[in-house]
Amino acid sequence: MPANWGYVIAAYGIAAVALFGYWRRLARRARALTARPRVAAKTRAA
Amino acid sequence: MTYARRAWIIFHKDLLVERRSKEQTNALLFFCLLLLFLFQFALGPDRDRLTAALPGLLWLGFILAGLLGLGRSFLAERENDCWEGLRLTPGDKSAIYLGKLAGNCVLMSAVEVVLVVLFGVFYNVDLWTPAAPLAVVLALGTVGLASVGTLFAAMTTQVRARELLFPVLLLPVQVPVLLATVSATQALLLGQPLGDVAHWLKLLAGADAVYLTIGLLTFEFVLEG
Amino acid sequence: MTRALGWLAALGLLAGLAVGFGYAPREAVQGNVQRIMYLHVPSVLTAYLAFGLVLIGGIAYLATRRPGWDRLAGSAAEIGVLFTGITIVSGSIWGKPTWGTYWTWDARLTSTAVLFCVYVGYLLLRSLIDDPEARGRYAAVVGILGAVNIPIVHFSVKWWRALHQPSTILGPEPSPIDPAIGLALFVNWVAFTLLFAYFLSRRMEIARLEEQT
Repeated sequence: MPANWGYVIAAYGIAAVALFGYWRRLARRARALTARPRVAAKTRAA
Repeated sequence: MTYARRAWIIFHKDLLVERRSKEQTNALLFFCLLLLFLFQFALGPDRDRLTAALPGLLWLGFILAGLLGLGRSFLAERENDCWEGLRLTPGDKSAIYLGKLAGNCVLMSAVEVVLVVLFGVFYNVDLWTPAAPLAVVLALGTVGLASVGTLFAAMTTQVRARELLFPVLLLPVQVPVLLATVSATQALLLGQPLGDVAHWLKLLAGADAVYLTIGLLTFEFVLEG
Repeated sequence: MTRALGWLAALGLLAGLAVGFGYAPREAVQGNVQRIMYLHVPSVLTAYLAFGLVLIGGIAYLATRRPGWDRLAGSAAEIGVLFTGITIVSGSIWGKPTWGTYWTWDARLTSTAVLFCVYVGYLLLRSLIDDPEARGRYAAVVGILGAVNIPIVHFSVKWWRALHQPSTILGPEPSPIDPAIGLALFVNWVAFTLLFAYFLSRRMEIARLEEQT
């Protein structure tokens, strides 16, 4: 049975990118909303 | 005015409007004819391949026609500013849902009969022998498609990009209906008796019951705004 | 509170990685690829949790009309779609060395894919309605139907598969579960749940701020 680490890394890697990316998106939106509430809300509706 | 009477009035009105103008029915029936060509050209001259795919194609045709026909369920009300009228109807709004649903079922049934006949004739398939059990499957599938379709049609009438949103919302919910009806139809066309596909029929009946119940319970929330 | 959750989640994830790669043994049949399960299974469980909250939030909103419930539903749906995506991708990558193919229309993958489509549609609907009141109502209806449909989809796909592929041993789980593997699964599941709670908390706060302006 080959080691197949490539697949494991690929799976975990993609998950990590996705989760980290979402976390950054949340952080960015939160920052924009607390810094300049009026402008930010208009550019991005829920 | 009783609940049943209100549902009947909506149903009757839709039938009458359609019978007089015939615009929607004619277009849909012509669409079915076009589907015939589409499937023939897509699957090529290989007759066996076409016959093997027939159950799937039949239901694909229904669903495509359904997407067109059902999506427009409330368009007449919206375009003619009757939406408010629907909203202000006294009493249980789900009567409107039932009336609309009945109309849609009639429409879809007409489309289905036409498709079955066209398929039988043009693809040279015997659809007459299993006609009775096939009708059962058709009926169950129609209710499944129309029950959710009517609910979502009411919803998307008020929303931007409704022609895109309606299929996107409807199709994932219809997966079980599609799987069940195609599997059952396939078995029936192979000559198996209705009893053999009982589990699919039960699934369809169960799903239909669930969809209908949710439609009846939530329609008033859709109509609110 | 949110911050604490975030740190807890981070700790949990690290612990999960440690147990999954350090403590849990290399599986006999599948080899190291089986470790993807520590990502795949907690993901799908978290997704189900998320969509359960969408259902609850939707019903509660229709009953009470308090915007907080709709914020819960919308936020949970977004995160649920994220985790469903991770489930599908990780399952797909796992499938390649295990079954030889990235995709197969087996019951579980197909059901998960349908689930993904249902809630992407849900999010699309939400994005197309500006009025928060209408959005909450319509989303709730779609959310309820979507959630209730899940078991129906599951059964229909399962029976459909049984019909077309009677006996293929596609079971991803090892039959008797080695306690070490069980522990790794558990730790990772807890970690993912914490992460979900953290994301949910932040996302709901964003939704609240957006509605204020």
